Amino acid sequence: MSEKRKYKKRFCKYCEAKVDFMDYKDVAALRFSLSERYKIMPRRLTGNCKRHQDMITIVIKRARAAALVPYTVTRKTVVSAPFENLR
Amino acid sequence: MRHYENLVIVKPTLTAEEIQASITAIEEIITSNGGEIATTNPMGMRKLAYPINKSERGYYHVIYYTVVPSAISEIERRFRINEELLRFVTIKYDTNREIAAWNYLVTKAKKSAEAPVKTETPVVDDKAPEAEVPATEAPAVEVPAVEAEAVATEEAEAK
Ligand SMILES: [Zn+2]
Repeated sequence: MSEKRKYKKRFCKYCEAKVDFMDYKDVAALRFSLSERYKIMPRRLTGNCKRHQDMITIVIKRARAAALVPYTVTRKTVVSAPFENLR
Repeated sequence: MRHYENLVIVKPTLTAEEIQASITAIEEIITSNGGEIATTNPMGMRKLAYPINKSERGYYHVIYYTVVPSAISEIERRFRINEELLRFVTIKYDTNREIAAWNYLVTKAKKSAEAPVKTETPVVDDKAPEAEVPATEAPAVEVPAVEAEAVATEEAEAK
């Protein structure tokens, strides 16, 4: 993965889509910047620019407060599939 | 007046009528504090990402409104007292860009609110011929089936 990334030109997906505002209720859109365990992915891996990374962190934290996205996924909670209502 | 959005999660143990009653009570808290509700968006019963107060599910409801900033503390205080609420999230839309986003979300929520109304109108049409021809039994049998389908889709949405 890192080998591939080395030669790929980094670009911000959100800049390309001209995202001006993110809605914290739209969980499907947040998945791109979340890891498998629902941690916020670092900028060096996603290629997000600073502006959009700041936006997405705020939005993800709001979604966590609203119980739309889990704070942590442990072995216990991973069984109960936290995203079953996200088709 | 400032633009706000409030997401409230109502306890899942209540019945449908009790949930509606508590939501109207919540909206009344906002209006009684001088807020003007632009639109509401019921997201319905959802599974929570993590249990809150031992509840695994919750009824999500989003309210978009404008209110004087000083009234927010009182609104939130009233929300905290309310034991039917599992969680509430208040979002402030301050800058011009955010207000534009707020307007976009309001129009989107209004559109999604109109969509179910369109699906309800054929149900009304079904009932009208039934009233015209009450003697025949066939439409009377059909109508409960349509209603059962509607309930089934509602349940599917709730899931
Ligand atoms: Zn960007």
